[in-house]
Amino acid sequence: MSGRKETVLDLAKFVDKGVQVKLTGGRQVTGTLKGYDQLLNLVLDGAIEFLRDPDDPLKTTDQTRSLGLIICRGTAVMLVSPTDGTDEIANPFNQPDGA
Amino acid sequence: MLPLSLLKTAQGHPMLVELKNGETYNGHLVNCDTWMNIHLREVICTSKDGDRFWRMPECYIRGNTIKYLKVPDEVIDKVQEETTKSRSDRKPPGVGRGRGRGRDDGAGGRPSKGTGRGLDDGGSKGMGGGRGRGGANRGGNRSGGRGRG
Repeated sequence: MSGRKETVLDLAKFVDKGVQVKLTGGRQVTGTLKGYDQLLNLVLDGAIEFLRDPDDPLKTTDQTRSLGLIICRGTAVMLVSPTDGTDEIANPFNQPDGA
Repeated sequence: MLPLSLLKTAQGHPMLVELKNGETYNGHLVNCDTWMNIHLREVICTSKDGDRFWRMPECYIRGNTIKYLKVPDEVIDKVQEETTKSRSDRKPPGVGRGRGRGRDDGAGGRPSKGTGRGLDDGGSKGMGGGRGRGGANRGGNRSGGRGRG
């Protein structure tokens, strides 16, 4: 490994930008990244959680709840991606052969 | 071939990553580390049931949430090359010299019995562990506490 711990993704470029974070257990949050550390603890401002369908916790719904300023614990962070350019799309895997 | 060597070799290639929660991510691997944390670019995320899709420019996935990764077949050829190369690079296996510990110690503070043992050790390369322990313990019984290190 090279010197620092989480060099795989440099979160510096996401600071003050919108990020989407998925947490273990299934919660999904977006917010403005205000800070982070090498353990992937994140500070999110104006955080919004996407609520899930109570009958099917896999699915996020359009319902949200505002969380405000939060710290996401690094060990619970599964996935980080920028909100910019993240969109739901139609099935991109066209199956010409009926796979 | 180590799993992580294969993964490292797969950098720049497209791959599919399935997480423990069943979501899959298709994208080009940018980078990975020894925890299997990965950075993907041009990602398409598919929900567990496979009926919703998202595209995202990039994403960071924590290694411990990964169930498996599917990498292109051609990567295996490259990883083979790299392992053989690194083998040949790793030529000198036994050239390291002993620990150097015994001699130092003996010369400095163990005049009566330490010296002889210490020099002996320095000479014989093969048996690293055994000699260190034996010598030190014996010394330690005598002189209390010194031998342990």
